[in-house]
Amino acid sequence: MVNVLDIKVMRDLWAMRTQVLTIALLIGSGIAVFVMSVSNYLALVEAMDSHYRNERFADLFANLKRAPTSIVQRIREIDGIGVVEPRITQAVRVVRQDTDLPISGRIVSIPADSQPLLNRLHLVEGRWLDPARPDEILINEAYARARAVRPGDTIDVVLNSRLQSFRVAGVALSPEYVFATRSGLPLPDDRNLVILWAGADALAGAFDMRGAFNDLVMTLAPGASTPRVIEEIDRLLAPYGGIGAYDRSELPSHRFLEDELAEQETLSIVMPTIFFGIAAFLLNVILGRLVDAQREQIASLKALGFGNFPIALHYFKLVTVIALAGSAIGIVLGRWFATSVIESYRAFFRFPALEPKLEPWIIVVAVLASIVAANLAAGSAVYRVARLAPAEAMRPQLPVTARALPWLGRHARAGVPLQFIMALRAILGRPFRTLFTVVGIALAVPLVLFGLFWFDAIDYMIDVSFGRIERGDAFVTFSSPVSATAVYELRSVPGILSAEGQRIVAVQLRAGHRRYRTSLTGLAATSELKVPRDKELLPIAIPPDGLLMSRPLAETLALSVGDTVRVEILEGKRPVRDLTVVRLSDDILGFSATMELGALNRLLREGEVVNGAALKFDPVLADTVWRRIQDMPKVEASSVKALWITLFEETIAGMIVIGAVILSSFGLLIAVGVVYNSARVAFQERAWELASLRILGFTRSEVATILISELAFEVLLAIPIGLVAGHMLIELIVTLRARESFQIPVAIETGSYAAAALIVLAAAAASAFVVRRRIDRLDLVAVLKTRE
Amino acid sequence: MVDEPQSCDSTEARQAHGRHGPPVFVARGLTKVYGTGAAPLYALRDIDLDIWQGEFLVLLGPSGSGKSTLLNILGGLDAPTSGTARWRDHELTGATDAALTQYRREHVGFVFQFYNLIPSLTVLENVRLVAQIAQDPMPPEAALDLVGLSHRLHRFPSQLSGGEQQRVAVARAIVKRPDILLCDEPTGALDADTGRLVLAAIATVNAELGTTTVVITHNSAISGMADRVLRLSSGRIASEETNPQRMPAAGITW
Repeated sequence: MVNVLDIKVMRDLWAMRTQVLTIALLIGSGIAVFVMSVSNYLALVEAMDSHYRNERFADLFANLKRAPTSIVQRIREIDGIGVVEPRITQAVRVVRQDTDLPISGRIVSIPADSQPLLNRLHLVEGRWLDPARPDEILINEAYARARAVRPGDTIDVVLNSRLQSFRVAGVALSPEYVFATRSGLPLPDDRNLVILWAGADALAGAFDMRGAFNDLVMTLAPGASTPRVIEEIDRLLAPYGGIGAYDRSELPSHRFLEDELAEQETLSIVMPTIFFGIAAFLLNVILGRLVDAQREQIASLKALGFGNFPIALHYFKLVTVIALAGSAIGIVLGRWFATSVIESYRAFFRFPALEPKLEPWIIVVAVLASIVAANLAAGSAVYRVARLAPAEAMRPQLPVTARALPWLGRHARAGVPLQFIMALRAILGRPFRTLFTVVGIALAVPLVLFGLFWFDAIDYMIDVSFGRIERGDAFVTFSSPVSATAVYELRSVPGILSAEGQRIVAVQLRAGHRRYRTSLTGLAATSELKVPRDKELLPIAIPPDGLLMSRPLAETLALSVGDTVRVEILEGKRPVRDLTVVRLSDDILGFSATMELGALNRLLREGEVVNGAALKFDPVLADTVWRRIQDMPKVEASSVKALWITLFEETIAGMIVIGAVILSSFGLLIAVGVVYNSARVAFQERAWELASLRILGFTRSEVATILISELAFEVLLAIPIGLVAGHMLIELIVTLRARESFQIPVAIETGSYAAAALIVLAAAAASAFVVRRRIDRLDLVAVLKTRE
Repeated sequence: MVDEPQSCDSTEARQAHGRHGPPVFVARGLTKVYGTGAAPLYALRDIDLDIWQGEFLVLLGPSGSGKSTLLNILGGLDAPTSGTARWRDHELTGATDAALTQYRREHVGFVFQFYNLIPSLTVLENVRLVAQIAQDPMPPEAALDLVGLSHRLHRFPSQLSGGEQQRVAVARAIVKRPDILLCDEPTGALDADTGRLVLAAIATVNAELGTTTVVITHNSAISGMADRVLRLSSGRIASEETNPQRMPAAGITW
């Protein structure tokens, strides 16, 4: 036979179905974020690990100018080294008929007849190279998809200033280019960056590298000391223009991936904790109120002889059903979010397999966590009531308000409507409940604000990076340093309004035991197309000597203004010099170091040369400009700001919209959940009183005003608190996710604050409206015949 | 034009409470049926009723007799299934919720069995609450004085005895100078001594303000106070008595 108390569980659940739904949704959102974050984190780790393992990803990398293959044997003899594989890699330009815009490429040699030993390729389409056809090539999947290139298509590549046609044999993925980018920007530029793999012999011929190599990939033997091995490699390669070996952490693709993983790891702990904390807190508030509202029932059950245990069990069942419903919603939602977010990862990270990993333990943890949180929340309320003697519990819980605040009335003679006094006494008479409700509503605001903030952050980043710091329209890179006349030549191109030469060299910065590989940019003191800025966005003059360093880089190296840093130039004559940090700049993208162009050239002992130029041109003549630049033999690569901005917006916008929608909907859920439940319980507690007023001649809206002004007070108090909390939460999360690729500015527009406030207000208003409709349906007659 | 009362009025009755002119409340053929189908429950069956200005009317009957339903219709809280009910020029049958609210607000004072005071408002505030929405209220203090509670103005309901609470409820009902005072078992939750104090307050209001007063009760002892007593049974008016002499509340015993 079904236990009668179990029938009560069912009936109670049904009677409170809207409340149950809002609570379940709240639990569901906490669970959803947990499920999403953890399964995505696991997915990325799993995808990376298996890709790296399957394709034998190298541990060490070294670039050099040119070395005879005979040297490879000596490197193999280094203690602690594993597999060593020499390659030829070169920056190239790809020419397409359908665009004048520059497409950069990197060509990498592979054995024509077999997979390389390290950094093997995962073929996704087509086949391996045919050793008999030196004009065959493999291309990276990202570019193939972006430009719709298929096996069998032709690709025109400028190799060593000579245009050469290749036939695409296959499309591949490489662990070296999971995240392919050609600059410090944290974005994959799939349409304008291509990785090409060609037969070693063919490349050696094209680059005059027979019997030689300019790139090494290596593995470490187990237990080897990375710094010592690197030191040995550097020693051996120095005579051949080696610019220093490095490990995975300095390979752009891996660095970005590690950054993302570190962030996901933080977020998969922080975000679910925040969400679950919020959900647990709200559960406490809502379920506490729900149990309080049943105090008379609990007292009656006790009076009838039910012990505390069956009563506790009864509420355990009630709450557990809600928690289970919440977990079910959360797991389904979480899986769905995970799939959408993974989808947006695919644009950034190219893995052979990247699927959300919904491990069974995640589900178990989620369900257990929700049951425990919900029962803790309800349990304390049940305990409070069960402790009371039945007779005491049966008495209405109102004396609190009655005892409180008689002085409020003394000031009411000036015409303050008594409805407001009633509302105020209800609010202030139970300060803790009010506080909990206010905090609960306040918690909705940061989530909505956090969702909206991303749009502001992106706008700000675009404005600062592309509007104020990089003021040119495009940047061209020369294949080797050129004299300043090359810049004059650029200036003479019709359509180019101005051109400013820059010298960019690879450096290793050392400060104590800390070191960081980056590039050092030489800028003319008169530079107008690139303007470093401080925190207030004011331009910083290029100091005549010493280093101008971006703040995050200085922080990484634990440097401040006035400190000395050892600068090891990694090319040319490889001078090493100690320089003083004279100023810090506040860039958003990348870790940069800058010095005056003349000073850098003196340091390099190279004369007045540049290897890059920022351009400003007339947009109308852009096509002509690009056609002319394509023909300049020394121009190796170019990037166009407008393309970057579009890319930035397109790639990041997708992720941000998903994030904003998820966060804002959770914020809305919280607002609706808290406000609806508070209003519903307040209504339940005061239905009798409100109906009495209706009988006394108060209109529906006058009666609703009492309940709604109570809510309005709480909501209006909660919103400013929520906005402040939102600002703090954003600062916290931005700090936690601070990473090398880019710094997210805490730039929140006033409009976003206003929108977050309005969204929460609207959710509250909608919930109040639902309760208002209950007031309209109050049973007036019943009130006459029942004691409260 | 006044309809000749059919069942529950007489010239003697009118003369007895000394009121002349048309009745202020006129009900014809009031029927209230709960439920439909095979076993409908008749709460009221074809009741005709007139009530005169200033009259003290007691509706007597056991529970289920229909007296509460009748009071609810008089108070604009319920609508009859058929028949008409009119308060002066206010047609109560078929009126909208807003019109009925307006009617209660302007003309009706209610006293409930369980007082229904607002627990978070003091005595004075409970009374002032209604004064606030009335067109021509008396000072709340005066209303409380009338029920003998001027010394309890700043107490909260929970700090008062049941009888005191009910007298606050009476003060709250009359502060708006209602045309009709409807009392639903006003002594139902009180002991006899306290009940008499409450009845005295109601009688004072009826006498001093001339408020038409309808009290429903199952306590026949109270009928001595009335000008006229209607006994209800099974939804019909079973009998009607007119008291030649009204008894003071203090003289009632039960």
